[in-house]
Amino acid sequence: MLSERIQIISSEFGIDISKVKDLKDLENLRLKYLSRNGIIPLLFEDLKSASKEEKPLLGKSLNELRNYATNQFDSLKENLEISSSAKEDKIDLTLPGIIKTLGSKHLLTQTLDEIKSIFKGLGFSILEGPELESDYNNFEALNFPGDHPARDMQDTFFINKEFLLRTHTSPVQIRVMSSQKPPVRAIMPGRVYRNEAVSSRSYCMFHQVEGLYVDTDVTFAELKGTLVSFAQQFYGEGLNYRFRPSYFPFTEPSAEMDITCYLCHGKGCKVCKQTGWLEILGCGMVDPNVFGYVNYDSEKYTGYAFGMGIERTAMLKYGITDIRVFFENDIRFLKQF
Amino acid sequence: MKISINWLKEYVNLQNVTSEEIISKLNMCGLEVEDEVNQNEIYKDFIVAYVKEKKKHPNADKLSLCKVDTGKEELEVICGAPNVDAGQKVVFAPVGTLIPKGNFRITKAKIRGIESSGMICAEDELELGDDHSGIMILDDSLAQGTPITKALKLDDVLLEIAITPNRPDALSHIGVARDLAALFNVELEIPRIILNESSTNIDTLASVEIDDLINCPRYSAKVLTGVNVKESPEWLKKRLTNLGLRPINNIVDVTNYIMYETGQPLHAFDLDKLKSKKIIVKSTKSETSFITLDSKERKLQPGTLMICDDQEPVAIAGIMGGENSEISNSTKNILIESAYFNTSSIRKTSKTLGLSTDASYRFERGIDPEGTLNSAERAAHLISELSGGEVAKGFIDVYPNKIERKLADLRFSRLEKILGYIIEGEAVYAILSKLGFEIKYQSDEKLTCAIPTFRPDIEREIDLIEEIARINGYENIPTVNKINILLGEKKDESKFTDELRNIATSLGFFEMINNPLQSEKTASLIGNKISVLNPQSADMAYLRTSLIPGALSVVSKNINVGEKDMSLFEIGNVFSKRGTEVDIKSFTDFYEQQKLLLLITGRSSNKGWNSSEKFYNFYDIKSFVESFLAKISLDNVLEDSYYHGDDRFFDLYFTKNYLKSVIGKGGRLKKEILKHFDIDYSVFCFEFDIDVLKKIPLKSKRYLEPLKYPKVTRDFAFVFDSSVNYEEVLTFIRKSGSKLLKSVSLFDLFENESIGANRKSMAFTLEFFSVERTLNEDEVEKEFLGLINSITKKFDAKLRGN
Ligand SMILES: [Zn+2]
Repeated sequence: MLSERIQIISSEFGIDISKVKDLKDLENLRLKYLSRNGIIPLLFEDLKSASKEEKPLLGKSLNELRNYATNQFDSLKENLEISSSAKEDKIDLTLPGIIKTLGSKHLLTQTLDEIKSIFKGLGFSILEGPELESDYNNFEALNFPGDHPARDMQDTFFINKEFLLRTHTSPVQIRVMSSQKPPVRAIMPGRVYRNEAVSSRSYCMFHQVEGLYVDTDVTFAELKGTLVSFAQQFYGEGLNYRFRPSYFPFTEPSAEMDITCYLCHGKGCKVCKQTGWLEILGCGMVDPNVFGYVNYDSEKYTGYAFGMGIERTAMLKYGITDIRVFFENDIRFLKQF
Repeated sequence: MKISINWLKEYVNLQNVTSEEIISKLNMCGLEVEDEVNQNEIYKDFIVAYVKEKKKHPNADKLSLCKVDTGKEELEVICGAPNVDAGQKVVFAPVGTLIPKGNFRITKAKIRGIESSGMICAEDELELGDDHSGIMILDDSLAQGTPITKALKLDDVLLEIAITPNRPDALSHIGVARDLAALFNVELEIPRIILNESSTNIDTLASVEIDDLINCPRYSAKVLTGVNVKESPEWLKKRLTNLGLRPINNIVDVTNYIMYETGQPLHAFDLDKLKSKKIIVKSTKSETSFITLDSKERKLQPGTLMICDDQEPVAIAGIMGGENSEISNSTKNILIESAYFNTSSIRKTSKTLGLSTDASYRFERGIDPEGTLNSAERAAHLISELSGGEVAKGFIDVYPNKIERKLADLRFSRLEKILGYIIEGEAVYAILSKLGFEIKYQSDEKLTCAIPTFRPDIEREIDLIEEIARINGYENIPTVNKINILLGEKKDESKFTDELRNIATSLGFFEMINNPLQSEKTASLIGNKISVLNPQSADMAYLRTSLIPGALSVVSKNINVGEKDMSLFEIGNVFSKRGTEVDIKSFTDFYEQQKLLLLITGRSSNKGWNSSEKFYNFYDIKSFVESFLAKISLDNVLEDSYYHGDDRFFDLYFTKNYLKSVIGKGGRLKKEILKHFDIDYSVFCFEFDIDVLKKIPLKSKRYLEPLKYPKVTRDFAFVFDSSVNYEEVLTFIRKSGSKLLKSVSLFDLFENESIGANRKSMAFTLEFFSVERTLNEDEVEKEFLGLINSITKKFDAKLRGN
């Protein structure tokens, strides 16, 4: 029994000493095996109760174990002490540390995160929908009649007659309203596709955030207030803004929102095409026809909707002039943000 | 569409209003001004000059040396135009002038050794036309020194207005002027026509018949005889060139002019080329071939609405006329067509033919069915003035089913409910009247109005509300400064993926966003690919079935620019049909799944003064996956399977399984896949199915008190046969250990000759503790020895260390 334990302890000691890296480890090793209450002195205690016949042989192997352990310990101690004291004195504190690289979210995700957190604060839920959509959700239920020129506003990638890659995040409005009764207050971010030639200004896909609020007393005045609050939180206080009439089949009245160009402060520059204004989003009051498609009573409920492009927003905010940069995923670009 | 401010001012009295004010009002009423050309500004430096003398340039055959009198001084100017000569009045750009074409400034310059102080200009350099064959030669009566803006009446401001598809009425000067009349509260003045008609009755000269009344509800016509086809007068040519139109002759130019004035597209036929002098409007019954006036042969589908004479088609209705009935220099008698066509019929034909014209653009959006006759008469009047022709007596107007004006109600309470503020009844009345609505009834609560036929976009109360809001100004709608927030349930469907992104970035990964449109080859690697019906190119003809190919393109591009070390992730959707032969008819015929891809390649650590260079390997992707799962508390929920062998993407790989189904897969990418992307380095990746991951029920987290009692650790090392794998031993130890054995970890692994061939050594640390008490050495020792025995027996292993 004891002889077996001597063997095991010898094996364990060998493994433990091989893991020692510094003087602190070494001290722990000493405490475990060689100190007064260490494993090896305790074995000598056990030796006392061994039979007379066994004692000489066991004693011999125990001594061998102790000597082996002590020698190993001493020589390692010497080595570690020399190197450590030499180091402590001459150590060059100016040497560089090892930099741990942190990853980062894509700039578009970061921009979206900022938009999401503002709207969350304004009481909006965040909802999502699929990219491969039906023509019904993407166009028809949003009041784009089948052969209406309004469809030319959005060049579409079709899968077949009834399915397509969504051209805007607005179909999520239809999905949300079809599945729940008012009140609804949500933003709906996501990827959209347009069959437009790829250039520095347009890409075949991009990202939008849609917003929708439907309740009994929603007005255009509230739409303005909410979006102005958003713009001030996102672009900074004190900016000037304007709402211009526009046209979207699924809202009426419709508007586009401009803010003062923050590059030229309204004087006119290349980015704002000399107008002093930057268009940041489209919006309007939900068209009663849309309510008809989702069985909401348009006499009782009113609502507003808005939508903005995330790429455009990020390009304006960070001074990016070529949209393709976002999708090339050059690691040098990704690491910048 | 291009709009001239001078032209607009013929219909509204805005003499004291600046073009800036007009532009600002247009922008704020929904007619967005995208571009502005102010001729007064652009041409301010150009003047009339007199060429006093012309000599040959001594050093260049094709250049002339001219002495030019600007009224103030005499200058030497070099000119390359062949038609320059002494005695001409010319357009002169003094030094410092900005030339519109090419946007360059004239400086004093030596040309072949002689200094030139200015430039004599050609039409194209001023962007007044395309002609570059020679310089512009002006009327002799013009005095040198006269500004060109005055001499050539270049005093207009030209606007490019973006007209939204709901506003066909604004595709004309009168239409835009009508909005301005409402915005500035002035009268809209539409020119009255006093026609001087001959004694010949139109019915004796021509006749019109409509066969397809659905697609052509109205056809009006006027006839002129004895016209003299020639160049249009300067004023008309300038009106058209200002808008970017090419003048053709006095007949065609008038039809274009009227279209830009009233919005009604007109077509002039050579009456003598119409067989039996008859027009029949009908749809084709079979496929027809037809040559349009641009000399192109067009294949027309059955059901295309055509204008025909007694025998054959003479025009594609609403789109383009035919070569066979075109106005020529010898044309004497003409028929002016002014019709109203069904919007979708024109749109369909225009789309099928891939042919969009100024006319089709207007017809497919909807013109004013009430305005056809007036426009025809206006054109007849102008053509007769310019060509000397006689207007035949009367008119042809086939219009059996009159399109009635619709009525709409507006409740003032509704106006306030939508906009959030009150607009007074009088203001509403004024706006609607100015826009051409006829108020039929008005009370304190509501009004009823007749909608003008030139506003096909307006039918309902909400449409009227928009009109009122837009003219009254969105800036007058208050901006509320408080909102009500719903206290109901708030959802955040992006929460889970946001969390995944946070974990990935904390592990050092960078997020990429790739185009889901891919080539057939990459989309064919896995799943049942879905094709795009109308792709831009073969590279983007299919939807991705996996995130891996897109990521490998990124790896390849980065390696090409010298960036070889990458840890990247992407969260995105992949698409797959439910079967190769499936036609997508509903949402159940395909999958759209959200995936997460983690990818590593290159070095995990760089060579430094205190670190050595290390490259990513299989175990790194495995540990990233483990860290990931630990963060979302799924580390002990999923099971692993390992494979050496051939997968579509991997040669060494593993899967993560939940209840026997695979929810993630990854490992080392195969050489042949990497080769396809020109990658020579090892790449490791793992792809998770987020939709499934999201649905695995998580155990709710509970607080665990920090351990009060000491842990006891023991180490051992065994030599095993090399066929024994880590997982087997680990499972065995865990199974054989008691409740006190809380953790087992591998701390050393090696194979070499010192322990024999086909042998490997694995060393483990065991951790024992109890949350209730301090363990005594003996009970740990006993269990430890027991484990040594059973391992030795089970695996025929040998304890190391002695
Ligand atoms: Zn600017």
